This record gives sequence, structure tokens and C-alpha cells, in this order.
Amino acid sequence: MKKYLSNKKAIVVFVLPAVILFLTFIFIPILQVFYYSFFKWDGVNQATFIGLDNYIRLIGKDPTFKIANANGFKFGLVITVYQLVLATIFAIAVSDKRIRFRKFFRTAYFIPVVLSVTVVCQLWGNVFNADNGLLNTLMKTLGIEWSQNWLNDRNTAIYTVAFVNAWQWMGYQFALIVAGIKSIGEDFYEAAEIDGATALKAHWFITLPLLKDTFNFCLLISVTGGIKAFAEIDIMTGGGPGNATNTLTYIMYNHAFGRQNFGYGLTSASVLVMECLVIILVLNWLFKDRETPLFARKKGVDLV
Amino acid sequence: MSKTKKYTADGKKAQPHSLSSVLFTVFLWAYAIFSLYPLLWMIMYSFKDNTEIFQTNPFGLPKVWRFENYVNAWNQYDVPLYFKNSVVVGAGTVILTIICAMMFTFAVTRLNWKGREGARTLISTGQFIPVQAILLPVVQTVSAMGIMGTYWSLILPYAAINLAFSCMVYYGFFKGIPKEMEEAACIDGANIWQTFFLIIMPLVGPATMTIAIYVFLSAWNEFLLANVLVGTTAHMKTLPLGVLFFQGQFTTDWGSMGATMVIASLPAILVYCLFSEQVEGAMTTSGAVKG
Amino acid sequence: MKKFLCVLLAAVMLIGCASALAEEKIKLQIYGQYADDDTKVPYDYAVEKLAEAYPNVELELIPQAQDDGATLLALATAGNLPDIYQTGSGIVTTLRNSKQMMVLNDVAEKTGFLDKVYETEKQFMIADDGNIYAFPYAGQEYVLWFVNNALFEQYGLEIPTTYDELIACAEVFNANGIVTMSLFGQEGWNAAAMYDTIATRYIPEGIKGIDNGTTSITDEGYMKAAEDLVKLAQAGVFQNAVTTTNYDQASEMFLNGKAAMFLNGQWYIEDATKALGDNVTWIAYPSYDEASYEANKHAFSGGGGSISGYAVNPDSPNAELAAEVAAFISEKYCEAKVMLRNNPLVAVNTGLTNDQLPKMMQDLVAEMPNMTSTTAFTWGLTNTTWSNSIGVAAQSLLSGQFTAQEVIDQLVFELE
Repeated sequence: MKKYLSNKKAIVVFVLPAVILFLTFIFIPILQVFYYSFFKWDGVNQATFIGLDNYIRLIGKDPTFKIANANGFKFGLVITVYQLVLATIFAIAVSDKRIRFRKFFRTAYFIPVVLSVTVVCQLWGNVFNADNGLLNTLMKTLGIEWSQNWLNDRNTAIYTVAFVNAWQWMGYQFALIVAGIKSIGEDFYEAAEIDGATALKAHWFITLPLLKDTFNFCLLISVTGGIKAFAEIDIMTGGGPGNATNTLTYIMYNHAFGRQNFGYGLTSASVLVMECLVIILVLNWLFKDRETPLFARKKGVDLV
Repeated sequence: MSKTKKYTADGKKAQPHSLSSVLFTVFLWAYAIFSLYPLLWMIMYSFKDNTEIFQTNPFGLPKVWRFENYVNAWNQYDVPLYFKNSVVVGAGTVILTIICAMMFTFAVTRLNWKGREGARTLISTGQFIPVQAILLPVVQTVSAMGIMGTYWSLILPYAAINLAFSCMVYYGFFKGIPKEMEEAACIDGANIWQTFFLIIMPLVGPATMTIAIYVFLSAWNEFLLANVLVGTTAHMKTLPLGVLFFQGQFTTDWGSMGATMVIASLPAILVYCLFSEQVEGAMTTSGAVKG
Repeated sequence: MKKFLCVLLAAVMLIGCASALAEEKIKLQIYGQYADDDTKVPYDYAVEKLAEAYPNVELELIPQAQDDGATLLALATAGNLPDIYQTGSGIVTTLRNSKQMMVLNDVAEKTGFLDKVYETEKQFMIADDGNIYAFPYAGQEYVLWFVNNALFEQYGLEIPTTYDELIACAEVFNANGIVTMSLFGQEGWNAAAMYDTIATRYIPEGIKGIDNGTTSITDEGYMKAAEDLVKLAQAGVFQNAVTTTNYDQASEMFLNGKAAMFLNGQWYIEDATKALGDNVTWIAYPSYDEASYEANKHAFSGGGGSISGYAVNPDSPNAELAAEVAAFISEKYCEAKVMLRNNPLVAVNTGLTNDQLPKMMQDLVAEMPNMTSTTAFTWGLTNTTWSNSIGVAAQSLLSGQFTAQEVIDQLVFELE
């Protein structure tokens, strides 16, 4: 058996396609990103080596850098909480045989994912418009004096944009958790029913611990999604007002393409990559010591 | 009341009517509407003109149904050709990504070799790279490979970009498969290829379907790379590039753009609905294998 | 026998090639704007004329993406630029250094383009190294404050000449649910143009001065202009969502009588006249006091032209022909703009006169000799860092949530 699983030829055949693809289109380009972060470069012509100057300016002096990091954190926090909580609730609901129209719900909750970001941002841009948007108009009609400048307030605009992102991509987390629950198998629920545990308890003690890997993954996607947020910001606020909704990716894009200062833009991208790496390592470490293999069924049932 | 009594003999549910469950049902429906309304909004929007969209009637049914938006979209660019390209690129990306990711994750989780954890972590970094950052190097690579303006110029980078996500999703699923599976197969005399294709592949069915949908949608809606890599090759353009015909330096024909977006989104929605049926099927099969 | 076959084969191939040459049109890729009447009408007109003048040439249009030139840069990186492409000032330096922009001096002379270009435009067309890199079609363009006179009359208001008067108007308009001035601040250039119309009251070079290096961002005038703009924003002169409003939203507000004023380039005259007729005029920019209003009445924002236009990829297999076609198209654009878009402010003297010009355009043409100074639009600036950050800065000011000091400090940082 051991020899069978250490078949060298097989390992090479299994690993190689992914590795080649990854090296060619992701890894080498990332190395280039790091490489050019030490240069002054316009993207086309000869680059000039300037050492750590870009890093010193970005991290040490640029006021937008701090704002971008804070925004990445806020953005990540909003989408993590929103997506994980709702996706879990909905996934458990549609996996429950007692809920009617499960198929319909499953499709409905996923639909926002299918739409293009442009459409979604257009819609929410209109809803949140401070002058004639749906939300402010609605509140006015209902006599609520709480009209907000949703997308134009330097302190809160980032939350509005984060909400749009959270709303659109909740469906992915949802689909992943549904698939996770399916792979646990229905017999768990049945075991729980017989033991007389309430549904809530059963989910809390059986379903959720077994979905640990899925949650770890969802968390990773959400948190790093916050740090690299770009499309919604670009379309809805353009990083504004001023630099209030900048993120690291936005700085990258703005400097590289808006100002043809690729070296500086790629410095921001390098910092972004490093921050994401740290997050992966931290999350992996957090989830590691309490490892629960998906198939440890006995352990799960014992908890009840 | 014991829970078991809630089920009738054929497993159908009996009606639980507590206040909390009614509230919960209302919540489920409310959020479903919250999720579906944008679809409706997009369709209505595609029949309006700029005045209706921005001033007079942003959220309701169009006052005048402007079918000419669709005529505009249809006349402006070769919709069937763009559609075909999108399908080829989407399908190609899905197939390539699934093959690479499944084999890789299999090797990482089930086979014994040094450095497999390292390899896994390395690949997963791909998830955190903004495409904008690697845009220029990727374009250079594609150009150096001499595949500029072919389907491969999109399929290869798309597959690479989606690889990290796919591997990470597979990872959890592969880890969940009991070792006994392979041991049994080994004892039955199956070789490693047979184990992979006949035992493992069907078992990760639900994950494959989830990944396929994800990868397909991301390839289908991708704009940035498509614009640069095939934007100058008329017969290779994909549907998202259609919006360029309506976006001016200042003004945009939002209605026709809406029509373009409906044309681009509806197939994706149909594919999803069809596929989600398949997911259902795949799940039942995998359940059977497991049982 | 073999020999014979070879000869036959060669002959067949030759004939094949010849007939292919005769029938096959030369395809040229052209990367340009093609989205609204202002870009479609000239393009379609140029293509129609091209078919007569160059029957063997066929154009393949690649519509331009609104992405700050990201596509063009990426194509340049890959060495995959189209045969002919539209370009702005910011990118000219980059692409001419990388030798991806053909030097068009000879073609400009040969086709007679050089002789037809207006003298005022020539200085912009010819780059600082004495070469021509693009055939321009847009002429001097100006930032205008458009006013809906009917709304001012309806509420018994005078057209403001100072910011205090403007703020007084805003109080009345706001009480009646009308936006005093709608801007499309989502686009950095529009916000920057608004700031420029104020800055030029203090420093006539406006935002162009910093691009040229003749002024410094620490000059007092820039700070004062920033303070004025913050004051206007906080007094509610602009709509709430000003920093996220796009062109179509802002324009619809103005054309539908929901906004009393609007800031845009002179190319908007055609659309504004169509929708509002005689009710709409452009006014001299208001100022901080009466004296400076009078003194700077003829100091305009915008103008200045730029070296943008249609450029040619020197690596194109048909570069020489592409250059001729680029010159031809730019000239035809000018004709179409004059005759079909009522916009006589073009780069090339077309020899055509349009006597159907709207009143606002006639006024502008009459004003041109009186103009004491002009500046530039952000796309006419060559310092890409400055053109980008002034847009962001002006947006901050428009939001009314940043102090002038904060914004100027940020600009000092960006420029250092």
C-alpha cells in the first residue's frame, strides 16, 4: 500500500500540469511584481533601479497607505461577518428536508453571483444614491429622518461598498457550505433526530464542527477578499471621496495605470501579497491544533 | 413532542407552525426577493433610456419598452460569434482547471511525497493575487508563447487564476475521504489510475460541480484580461467586451449596455440552473457510493 | 516532368498571389472611441469618405475602453499595438520612448496635413523634440459654466458673479429641491475643471501652471481656490452625491430642469441647445469678488489643446499606409465635427463653414479673440502624477469633508 501511494511516476504526472500552469501564469508574474517594486518603471520602457525607495515612500510616508490598510480591514470584517453568518444559516436551512421550496431558495441565493459586477454596482449605486436613490427616497416617504450620504461620506462609504461585495458573493460561501453539508451525509441528522437533540443543537454540535475546513477556507476567502477589494470600489466610488475608499489594490491600479508609475503600484501589490501570506499562515495555524478530519463521525456524534 | 413524529412514513414533513419558524420562513423569502430583484431590475433597465434610468424612473417597469436597445446591441457587434467564443473559453477553462486541480489535490492529499504541504501553500497564494497586478507580465508571457489572439491566450491564464481556488475547495473534500477507500481498492487489485478515476473522482462530485460553476462564471464574466488579450482580435472577442461599444469617454448608452449585459448574463443564469440540477444528481450519486 | 510540375506550381502560386493581391483589401486595425454621437458621427463619416479615397483599405474598429489607457499600455507591453490608435498626452512620452509611435513628420508634409493645421494647434501637435507623433482633430476646447436661465427667472434670481451670490442662489434652489450646480465628480477631470475655474481667478495658468513648472502648488492662490471650493461645497451648491455622479446622471439633472447649472466642455453646446433651446447659455466664471470677476472675465479654463490624436504603430506591416489613413481620418473627423456636430473648434482648417451654429457656439467663437489666458483639461497635462492627483484632490474638496489644508498637503506629498 505504501509503495503504491509513493509511485514517483504517478506523482509527477498528477502534480505537473497544475505546477506548470501556476509557475507560468502566476508565480513568475508575482516574482516580476516583486522585482519591479525596486524600480522606477513606466510599464513599457527601461526601468531604473531605486532600491527600497518605493517601499520607504509607500509605507513610511504615503498617507493613503494607512487608509488603504484600514479599509482592507473594514472591508474584510464586513464581508466576513455578513457572508459567513448568512451563508451558514441559509445553507443549513436549504439542507433541511423540512423546509419547502429548497431548490428555489438554493437558486435564488446564488443568483447575485451570476450577475456581472458592473450590473450589481449599477443597481446598488442607484439604491444608495444620496440625491434620488431608492433608500433615501424610501426613508423620506416613510418619514424617517435618517438620510445618509451612503457612498460619499469619507468615514462610512467603505462600509457601503463592502456591503455590496458581501451581498454579491455571499452565494459562493453559501454554495460551498451546502456542498460541505452534503458531504457530511444525511445520516448525521437522522442520528441527531433519534437522540432527541433539537435541530439547532444538532447543527451547532455536529454540522458546524465538521465543516471546519470549509469554514477555514471561507474565512480565508473573505478576509483576503477585503484586502484585495477593487472592482466595486473602482465602479462605485472611484476610491473617493478623495482617497477615503482606497485599498491596496486600488493604489496599485491608480499608480500603475493612472499615473504610469508601475514601480510604485507594484510595491503596493507586493505589500498586498505579503499581507495575504501572513493571513494564510495565521489562519492555518489557528485552525491547525484543533484539526477535525471530516470523516471523524464518532467524535461528532459523541459531542451530542 | 418528539422530533421523529414530525416525519410521516414517506419522509415528507408534517407542518411545524411555531412563531419562530414562520418568522424564519418569512426571512428566507425576504432574502430570496432581495437576491432576485437585481435580475428583474437589470431586465427592466435594458428597456429604458438614460432619462428613465437616471431621472424619471430608476426602479420601476419601463414606461416605454425600448426594444431598440436590443436591436442596437445586436447590430453593434456579432452577438452569436462573441457568444460562441465565450462558450469555448468558458468550457475550456473549466475542463483544464478541473483536471489540473483535481490531479494536483489528489497528489497532495493522498500520495506520499516530500514537499507536498509546501506545494499546496504555494499554489494557494494564487488566490490572493489581484489580476491587475500581474496583468502586464501575463500579457508578455502570452505574447512570448505566440498564442496571442487564440483561445489558448485566454484559457491558460484563466485556468491558472482559478487554480488556487479550485485546489483549496478540493483540499477539504479530498481530506474527508477515508483512507480505507484506497486500501480497499488496493486490495481489490486496482492500480493508482483506476483508484483515481473510478473511486476518487465520483466521490468529489459535489465539489467538482461547485468549482465548475465558479470557474465557468469567472471566465464568462472576465473583462480585464479579455480586453487586452483578444480585444484587438475581432473574431476572438468574448461577450463582456460588448459593453465597450456603448461606453464613451463621457456618455454611456446605459440602456443598450443593459441589453448587452442581459444578453451576456442570461446564458450564465441558464447554465447555473441546469448545472444546479446536475449538482443535485451528483450529490445523490456520491451519497450512494459512500453508503 | 518534375521540372515541369515545379514550374506549373510556381506559376499557379504566382497567379494565386496576384489575384489575392488584387482582390484582398488591406485591413487596418484602428483603436478609437466609438460610443456616442460625438464619437460615432465623425467615425462613420470618416469611414464613408475613406471608402472613396482608399477603396483598397478596410478598417477594423477596436472600440476604446475607458480605463485610463490601461489597455493601450498592456498592448504596448506585449508589442501588440493596433495599426492606428487614439492617444492622449499622458501616454505619448512613454510610447515614443519605446519607439512604438511612428514619427509622422514626412507623412504630415506629404499629405498636406501640416499645412492645414491651425497655427494655434501646430505648437501642440509638434512635440518638444520637434517631431509629430499624432494627427490631432480636436481643437481648442474650453470649460464652460452652463446656466438654465429659465430656472433662475422662475425663482427671481440673478445670474451670480461672485461665490457669495452663488451661495445665496443655492439657498433658494435647495429650498425648492433644485440642485444649483450639477457636476459629474466621479470623473476626476470634471472635478479638476471646476477647481480650475476657481484657481484661474487667482492664478491665470490654473492647473496648467504646475504642469509647466511655472507655478508651485504652495502658491497662495491654489490654497485660496481650495478654500473657496470647500466653502461652496459646504454651502450645498453641488448635489449630495457629487463625487459618485457620472456624466449621464449629472447631465440628465441639468437637461431635465433639476439642476440650474452644469459644468462641461464646449462640446456640450450641441446637446444642451437641443434639449433646452434658448434657455441655456454659458456665463463668465464667477469669482471671489466683483473686482476679480471683472478683471478675469476673459481668463478661461481648458483650451490649450494637446498632442493627442491618431497615432500609428511603426511596426505595422502597412505603417506607411496606416499613417496616410490616420492623417486622412483626422481631417475627416474635423469636417464631421464642423458640419455634423456644429463644433468649429477643430485642429484642421477644413475650408468648410457652418452658418447654422448654435447661439452659444457663435458667442464662444466671438469670445475667442478676447481670451486673455487658457489652461488645460487634465488629459492635456503631461505630468501624469499631477493630472491624476489633481482630480482626486478636487474631488476631496467637492465632497466638503476635507479641509483645504489637508488637500493641499496631500498634493505637496504627491508632487515631491
